[in-house]
Amino acid sequence: MTATTATTELPTGPSDAAETVAPAPDDAAAHTSVSPTARTLWRRSRWYLFTALALLLVGLLIAGISGQSTFPALDPRSGDREGTLAAVHLLEKRGITVRTVDTERDLEAAVRTPGATVVVPRSDLLSTAQLRRLAAVPRGEGRLVLIAPQQPALDQLMPGSRVAGQTEGPANLVDTLTTPAGCTLPEANRAGSAELGGLTYLRGADDTGCYARHGHPTLLHRASGGRETVALGTGDPLTNDRIAEEGNASLALGLLGSRPQLVWYLPDYSAPAPSVARKSFTDYVPAGWYWATLQLAVAAGLAALWRARRLGPVVTEPLPVVVRATETTEGRARLYQRARAHGRAADALRRAARHRLAAALGIPATTGDVPEAALCAAVAARLGHPAADVQQVLYGPAPTDDAALLRLTDDLDALERQVRQP
Amino acid sequence: MALTGRTALLAALGALVVGLVLPSWTGIAVATLPVLLGVLADLALAAPVRSLRLERGGDTSVRLGEDATVELTVTNPSRRPLRARIRDAWPPSAWRPGTAFAASRHTVTVPAGERRRLTTPLGPTRRGDHHAAKVTVRSLGPLGLAARQGSHTVPWTVRALPPFTSRKHLPSRLARLRELDGRTSVLTRGQGTEFDSLREYLPGDDVRSIDWRASARRNTVAVRTWRPERDRHVLIVLDTGRTSAGRVGDAPRLDAALDAALLLAALATKAGDRVDLLAHDTRKRIGIAGRTPTDVLPAFTDALATLEPALVETDFRALTANALRMAPHRSLIVLLTGLDARPIEEGLLPQLPLLTKRHEVVLASVADPRLDELAAARGTVQDIYGAAAAEQTRADRRRTADRLTRAGVTVLDAPPTTIAPAVADAYLALKAAGRL
Repeated sequence: MTATTATTELPTGPSDAAETVAPAPDDAAAHTSVSPTARTLWRRSRWYLFTALALLLVGLLIAGISGQSTFPALDPRSGDREGTLAAVHLLEKRGITVRTVDTERDLEAAVRTPGATVVVPRSDLLSTAQLRRLAAVPRGEGRLVLIAPQQPALDQLMPGSRVAGQTEGPANLVDTLTTPAGCTLPEANRAGSAELGGLTYLRGADDTGCYARHGHPTLLHRASGGRETVALGTGDPLTNDRIAEEGNASLALGLLGSRPQLVWYLPDYSAPAPSVARKSFTDYVPAGWYWATLQLAVAAGLAALWRARRLGPVVTEPLPVVVRATETTEGRARLYQRARAHGRAADALRRAARHRLAAALGIPATTGDVPEAALCAAVAARLGHPAADVQQVLYGPAPTDDAALLRLTDDLDALERQVRQP
Repeated sequence: MALTGRTALLAALGALVVGLVLPSWTGIAVATLPVLLGVLADLALAAPVRSLRLERGGDTSVRLGEDATVELTVTNPSRRPLRARIRDAWPPSAWRPGTAFAASRHTVTVPAGERRRLTTPLGPTRRGDHHAAKVTVRSLGPLGLAARQGSHTVPWTVRALPPFTSRKHLPSRLARLRELDGRTSVLTRGQGTEFDSLREYLPGDDVRSIDWRASARRNTVAVRTWRPERDRHVLIVLDTGRTSAGRVGDAPRLDAALDAALLLAALATKAGDRVDLLAHDTRKRIGIAGRTPTDVLPAFTDALATLEPALVETDFRALTANALRMAPHRSLIVLLTGLDARPIEEGLLPQLPLLTKRHEVVLASVADPRLDELAAARGTVQDIYGAAAAEQTRADRRRTADRLTRAGVTVLDAPPTTIAPAVADAYLALKAAGRL
C-alpha cells in the first residue's frame, strides 16, 4: 500500500477564508498543538543549563589551579623551582624576545635564523635521526645551547667532544656545586663562580671548556665563524630556584642573551616520536584532502542530525498476555516424563482407550469407568482374541520402563484400530 | 526543527570546494556558512506549525478485519504556504500489518488560508478502542534545507468491533427457526408448546389437540394450534476470568465465546426472545438488559468490543448473584466459561442449584484442538507422555462435564470454529423441546 497522498481540495468560501486567516484566539482547534514553546523549553531546561555552567566553571577553576604543575623542568613558562621563568624575565627586561617552538620544523627554522639563541633543554629525548636532521640544517649566525647533551647529541652537533667518564653504561653525574669559571670564555669570566655540575665532558680540539669538576669541564663552547654551540652539563643555574645564587644569573644572561632572539624548543615529550624511517602513504596525500575530510565530517554530522530527527515519537500500546490454553497439560506431560511416571501415564492412556472402546461397542459407561468384564468380553468377541489377552492390554499391570510404555501404547492403538475396522 | 538530506548533501559538496580550492579553516567556513544561513532562512520562512488547525472525521467503528478510513483536515491560517510531511500516528495494532509506515505519512501542500483533507487508511488487527496518537507536522522551508516540526493532539477513537465471523451460520439457523415457527410450509404440525390459536378441525389433525371445551361452545370441532414459545428471556453470561485468557490457536478463548454470544443474540432476537448480557470475573464487567430487538446486536457488539480477559479467578458466587438479579423469571442462562475442573467444581458447582432451580442452564466451553493433537501424538517417549497428559486433561474435562450434566446443565464442549453454531443449535433444540 502506498501513502495516501490524495488530498481533497475543500471548498473555501470567502467567509471560510476570512475565518481561517484570522482564527479566534479561544478556538478549541487552535489548542491541539502539544509542542513546547520556547518559553516552556527555557523553563524546563534552565536548571540543567545552570548546573552545566556551574560544573564547567568549577572544572575550569580546578584546571587553572592545578595546571601549574604540569610544566616540565626548564620550561620558560613555569614559575616552579624547576622552571626558568625568572631567567626569561631577566632576558626580556634586556629587550630580548623570547618565544617557544614545539615542532621540529620550527626548530630547524629557528636554527637557520641568524641572530637567534636556540635552547634545546632535553636533547637526550631526540632520536638520532632527529639529531642528524638538526645537524644537517645550514645554521645561521646564532648560538645553539644544549643542556646536558649525551653522547649521541654531541656526536651530531659537537663532533669531537665526548662525555667524560663514560666508557660504557651511563655517565657519572656530579653534584651541582659552586665552581670557579677557570677559562677564557667572556660569559664565564663575567659571571665568575657559578653553580654547575651534572655531566662533565672531554673537550674536542677547538672547544673551550669551563667550570671544570674533577678535571673535566661542565661547560663546552665551540665557535666556528658566527655559529656557536654551547653544551651545559646541567640546567640548574638557569632554574628559578638557583638563578639568584653566585654568578648564575650572569652566566644565564651571558649564555642566553648574546643574541636579540631567544628560541626555546619545547616539544610535546609525551607524544611518540614521529616515524621518520619511511614516508608513509599519508605523507603523499595532499593537505587539501585532510580539510576536505573535515568538511565531510561536518556533512556527516548534518546527515546524522537529519536522520536522527523522527517524525513524531514512537507509539506504544499495551500488549495482551499470551497464555496457551494447553500450557498446564504440556507442563503435566513434562512432569510425568521427569518423574518417570510410567504407571500414571499408562493408566491415563488405558482409561481413555477403554472409554473409546466402550463407546464404539455400545457399552454404557454410567458410573465414570467402564465395567471390566463386559468390555473385555465384548472386545474379545468382536476380534476373536482370547479375553485374557484383551484384559492384559486394557487392565494389565503398569509398565515399568519407557519401552514397555511405548509397547503398551502401540497395543492400545492396535486394539482400537481393530475394533473400529475389524 | 529538522534538517533534510539536502543540507547534508550541500555540506558534502562543500568538501570539493574545501579540498580543491581552499584547504583551510576559511574554506570550511566558506562551505558551511551558506548552508547554515540557508537553514536559518528556511526555519524563519517555513509556515508555522503551532497555529495549524487540525480536525478529524471519518469512521468511528469498524469490524475487526475490515478497513476504516480516518480523515484529517489541515487548515493553514498563516500567510505562508505550508509544504509539509505529516504523520498521523496510531498504535501499531491499528494498522494493517506492514502498512504502518506508508499509510501514516502524508505529503501535503496547503496554500495560505486554505485547507486540505488527508485520508489515513486503518485496518485494526486487535479488538477494542484504538486512540489516535499525535499528529506530527514537518513544515519545510522554501529552500528545502530545514523544516519546523511540531506535534498536535487531535483525539479520535476507532473502535474495532468483534469480527462476528459466525454470522455466516445465521441464515441456516434462521431457516431452522422458521421451520419451528411454522412460517415455512412444512407438512408437520407446527412444533412448540405455546398455545397460538383455535381453528376448525381438518382431517389429518392430531386428535389429541382437539380442544373439547372450545368445541362445546361452537358447532364445529376446534383444534388448538401451537407455536414455539416467544418472548422468552435469554441471559448470556460471559466468564472473563483467567480461564478465558488461554489462547486457543491464535486467539484467546474469550474471542470464540464472544462470537458464540453474538450469534446466539442475533438468533434469539430474531426468534422473538429477549436477550440480556452479563460479563463477569471478580466483578460485573458488562451488564446489558432490556434492549429493544433492533438495538440488541449493536449494543452487544459495541460493549464486547473493549472486553478483555482479566487474569483473575472468577468469583462464581458474585457471578451467580448478578445473573439471578438480571433473570428474575424463568430464563435460559447460557454460561460461556471453561471446563477446567478446579474452578468449576469449587466455584460453580456449589452455586449451580441456585441457577438450575428456576432456570434452564447451558454451559458452553471452548475446547482446544491442540489437546486432541497432543492426545493423538505418537512416536517418541515425549509424545507418549504428552498423550497421557492430554488424555488425563480430557478425562478431567469429561468428568467435570458429567458432574454438570448430572446437576441438570446442558454442557457443550466444542473447538473455537464450531462453538458458536453449537450454542445456536443447543438453543434451537431447547426451543423445539419447549424447555425455555
